[in-house]
Amino acid sequence: MILRYDGTFAGFLTSVSLARERGLEPEAIADREPEQQGLFATVETVATSRDRADELYRLIRHTLTPGAMQTFRYAFQSCEPGREILLFRYLQLGLATGAQFGAMLAHEAVIPVWKLARAVGREAHRYKGLVRFQHLEGDIWYAAMEPDHCILPLIAPHFAARFADQRWIIHDRRRGEAVAFDPRHQKWAATPLELTATLPCTAGEEFFRELWQRYFDRLAIAERRNPKLQRQNLPLKHRRHLPEFEQ
Amino acid sequence: MPKLTLAEKLEILADGAKYDVSCASSGSSRRNKGGIGNGAQCGICHSWTADGRCVSLLKILLTNACIYDCAYCVNRRSNDTRRVILTPAEVAELTIGFYRRNAIEGLFLSTGVVKDPDHTMELLIEATRILREEHRFNGYIHVKVVPGADLLLVERLGRLADRVSVNMELPSRESLKLLAPDKSREAIVAPMKRVGELIVQTKEERKVSRKIPPFAPAGQSTQLIIGASGESDLQIVSLAAGLYGRLAMKRVYYSAFIPVNIDSRLPSVIGTPPLVREHRLYQADWLMRYYGFAAGELLDEERPNLDLTLDPKAGWALRNLHIFPLEVNRAPLELLLRVPGIGVRSAQRIAGARRGGHLSLDDLARLGVVMKRARYFVTARGRFAADLAPDAAGLRARLTERTTPRPRWNQPSLFDAAAAIDIQSTITGEL
Repeated sequence: MILRYDGTFAGFLTSVSLARERGLEPEAIADREPEQQGLFATVETVATSRDRADELYRLIRHTLTPGAMQTFRYAFQSCEPGREILLFRYLQLGLATGAQFGAMLAHEAVIPVWKLARAVGREAHRYKGLVRFQHLEGDIWYAAMEPDHCILPLIAPHFAARFADQRWIIHDRRRGEAVAFDPRHQKWAATPLELTATLPCTAGEEFFRELWQRYFDRLAIAERRNPKLQRQNLPLKHRRHLPEFEQ
Repeated sequence: MPKLTLAEKLEILADGAKYDVSCASSGSSRRNKGGIGNGAQCGICHSWTADGRCVSLLKILLTNACIYDCAYCVNRRSNDTRRVILTPAEVAELTIGFYRRNAIEGLFLSTGVVKDPDHTMELLIEATRILREEHRFNGYIHVKVVPGADLLLVERLGRLADRVSVNMELPSRESLKLLAPDKSREAIVAPMKRVGELIVQTKEERKVSRKIPPFAPAGQSTQLIIGASGESDLQIVSLAAGLYGRLAMKRVYYSAFIPVNIDSRLPSVIGTPPLVREHRLYQADWLMRYYGFAAGELLDEERPNLDLTLDPKAGWALRNLHIFPLEVNRAPLELLLRVPGIGVRSAQRIAGARRGGHLSLDDLARLGVVMKRARYFVTARGRFAADLAPDAAGLRARLTERTTPRPRWNQPSLFDAAAAIDIQSTITGEL
């Protein structure tokens, strides 16, 4: 059995809830048609049920420690194909073992999920520094990024607290999604977004961009030059939207 | 002289500030109270320069003009460089401009000494005050204390900043006298002591009432230049241990000496700065702050300098082979932390995971232990992973041996006769 869900967290929880009810482990849980269909696997499309999802979520929150809960949430934001079945096994073990679960750090069902969560957590932390806003006409602060994982909901609260007086948008260009923050209501919301035109920057933006580039170029100490270390700390894939690396 | 643009001024002032290696933006969780910015407890890096160092704060000087003539300093009086100064308001505006773009975590403000220490301090305080009060900026601010300034000014600065620091630069009184004759050890230590007292005192007061404004919530730090004077690593590490212990210092930075001036009092350094020595000192520093090592365990009178070929933890382990191998399922956390290849996180994960069941050697690798080093020092369920007992003579060689880089493969050219034969044999499998 392959369960196909809509890609949302609630949809995933609904799928887990269904599988648990039937008492069997699905071959896969995925948000798109599997590329290679198993000969005998049947694909079942799961309709997201808010009630089912809520019920399971309450049970998970009640059973898992806060640390295990965060691992679970972060790992779900990963874009690794096949993550859902790992998360399913993780939950099954957690719900079956209860209080013991917190100490099962070396268990084979825990390690892969922990690794996913760690990768997502690291990337989210990194992007708190790498998101760069441009000041656009109309007093909007716009930032583009192309992260590996779906980290927008993880970093939005950080920027909402920090730039509470700016109208800002962070745009995940890889996924065509964005979060937008409204300072009047102090709320951020996710929205699909595709760019159709070039963005009109303010004059101040050009000024600060040049200022930053010239400042940045002076910072390295020539005697300590070490581009390998620089690449290790800041891989090329993260430099695409940083003004200091613009050619 | 033609008037300089802001960009040109910024370049000159960045040039003057970049030799200060302090980069941390951690330790303060200042909240955004109806303005802009906040402190991230863990600190955030925003970029990395071509020397591999991170950019976290806008690191600039208020001015590179200075009345002092310290031998090692790029901004010393006798250097023929262009002197510029920013107004406190300009510093604040630059900070806000970069901060709103999320290019920085905040400001690192240092300065040359103009007129006298008190006047200079007042300029630094004014820049900080404008940021906090007029721009309602709650991001991270690290400001240098000018040695010799009035202690009341030091207190005012600490109430506004997240971190303050006085750079010791030279590890001994004698070196200071030789290389920085205008600064006395007392003028450096007095504000450090006062800052230390105020940090401890304010923390106590804030336990009673949160209304009392914090004093340098991210603590104080200092910097030592490595290799400009003749001190041994033992002297440096002992000094650092004293600073951590007595003055409630949060960080000591080590900066490999880079000759920016020609001066007969300075050692003539040829080639690269002592970067490996600097790296080993940082490792020793980490061992003292996070791993429970005392300075005396890492170095002593007989071996006053750190081994450049071996990290100090492995060095300690080789001198204390009698406690190894440790059984990871039983050893207390303090001892796990002393195993080469086990870091703070993996030690904690081991301690957590062994509550759930006996750990095997395979589990250790999965928990993040670097088995390449740890294998010689641990057992799991009584099993030992290495082919070499920890008292074997070859252990030191194993731990220092460098992995040779793999040979690089070149794309063979189809039209190169010799290569063509290779390709032929690759395709057919014949030699």
